[in-house]
Amino acid sequence: MTDLLLRDVLVDLGGLRVEIDRFEVAAGSRLVLFGPNGAGKTTLLRLLAGRIPGGHTGACAYLPQRPWAFRGRAGRTLRLGLDGAAHARAKDLVAALGVEDLLDRPTRSLSGGERQRLALARVLARPEDVVLLDEPLAAIGAADRPRVAGVIIGTLAGRTAVIVTHDRDEAVMLGDEMAVIIDGRIRQRGDVRSVFGLPADTELAAVVGVGNAVSGSVAAGEDGLNEVDLGEITVWGMGELPVGSPAAVLFGGETVTVHAGRHGSPGSARNCWAGRVDRVRDVGRLVEIVVDVGVPVVALLTPGSAEELGVRIGAHVTLAVKATAVRVVPR
Amino acid sequence: MDFLRDVVGDALALLGVFGSELREVLGLTVVVSGAATVIGAALGIPLGIALGAGRFRGRGTLTVLVNTGMGMPPVLAGLLLLLLLWSEGPLGSWGLLFTPQAMIAAQSLLAIPIAAGVTAGAVRALPPDALEQVHALGLTRRARGVVIGREVWPGVVAGVAAAFGRVVSEVGAVLVVGGNIQGETRVLTTAIVQEARQADFGAALALGMLLLLIALSVNGVLTWLQFREKT
Repeated sequence: MTDLLLRDVLVDLGGLRVEIDRFEVAAGSRLVLFGPNGAGKTTLLRLLAGRIPGGHTGACAYLPQRPWAFRGRAGRTLRLGLDGAAHARAKDLVAALGVEDLLDRPTRSLSGGERQRLALARVLARPEDVVLLDEPLAAIGAADRPRVAGVIIGTLAGRTAVIVTHDRDEAVMLGDEMAVIIDGRIRQRGDVRSVFGLPADTELAAVVGVGNAVSGSVAAGEDGLNEVDLGEITVWGMGELPVGSPAAVLFGGETVTVHAGRHGSPGSARNCWAGRVDRVRDVGRLVEIVVDVGVPVVALLTPGSAEELGVRIGAHVTLAVKATAVRVVPR
Repeated sequence: MDFLRDVVGDALALLGVFGSELREVLGLTVVVSGAATVIGAALGIPLGIALGAGRFRGRGTLTVLVNTGMGMPPVLAGLLLLLLLWSEGPLGSWGLLFTPQAMIAAQSLLAIPIAAGVTAGAVRALPPDALEQVHALGLTRRARGVVIGREVWPGVVAGVAAAFGRVVSEVGAVLVVGGNIQGETRVLTTAIVQEARQADFGAALALGMLLLLIALSVNGVLTWLQFREKT
């Protein structure tokens, strides 16, 4: 079942051109629209929100970029556009987002992050099944992001969501699926970790950053580190999530060191996995290899060391990554 | 210098006595210009919000008309209404010519474009982010207009103040459709013209002072309203 559908849309907003042959989002899923600044993400979202002629026309809950702080007290502006039931939900969300003490203050005296949370509560409380969020975590401080992301995901359960971001962590925290948009066109679409892990071409690799994003659950925690169980392997990374909670590990392909053969533990790296090379390709000045160590792991090498190591498809290699190069984020 | 001193002295003496004629003229001025301002605001503010934020056919034409209306000579507004209300005119049977109602109608014609134009300007000055957010609230068109009006509240008040300032100070429209009939349609401005023409400068100046006083108090209240809401 499809909840959102755009077909044959061409928008030209004086320089910014967005061209969509077909764009659909399955009911109940969360799609992240990822891309650099000016790529057309917001334009596509506004098409879905029905704010640009030719777009989607159904009802939706829509959080625009940089939410406007309405005149008046925060508690009053929280009610805008909401009926009684939605207003009650909004008040619960305000509490969950930790801004319930601000409702008596004038909205314009609030900080950017506080305004953003207020606007989020107002949008997420809406009854519509389709939710469109433009950079929902943009003004939220790094320390509060996991909590806010958790609230967002909780309210999106069973709803169809499209979330715009240019931030990697935000994409991983909020999306199931991801579409990368460059110069007004959707260039790659797939689940978040496969797009981050295996960008389709060098231009996409430059946009998403060549790297790894794999989901699992937290198996252990100590001294600011988490061990995340990915099924076949476990990964140590920087994180302080409770044991058992769902998490994703993020690390760049350039942080992975590659050793020929099946070593035990080369050097001081906490993460060390043996596997076979699955894929080799040139990405500009570097060589990108994908090694199957139970899960596919992307590593970047200089052409010189790739040659020295004899990297080719099927070769046995050992990968090592320092725990300090890995970020553990909630999912 | 003696001349000016005598005029000011006469004016202050008249104000001190504050006779029934002065009271009548003052009362009618407040009623006529007050009603015209209320009508102008009631029609002009929604029109201004629609012109500033709406996307509809004829918006450009309407904007040109409103902007022209902001500068329309009062005497011309009076003349147009006079033609409508003249005994052989299309609305002649209503018998409104030379009544306070006709004066209110004439001044409303002047007040509507001012209230609309200033409000529309304030709405246009809102950042695009604000209008995007207003649209995202999922409100009806009317409720959206109310939210937008609240956002540009100081601009709306400025529009009302400008409309009042225009109608209370104009002479042409009320003179043409009101006729400056003593005890019936004489207001401060038309009375000033009358007294000045008769070289009764003390009375003219007294009326002028009253006019200034009205303008001061109304604008004082409206400015206080604008400043009060700092949020």
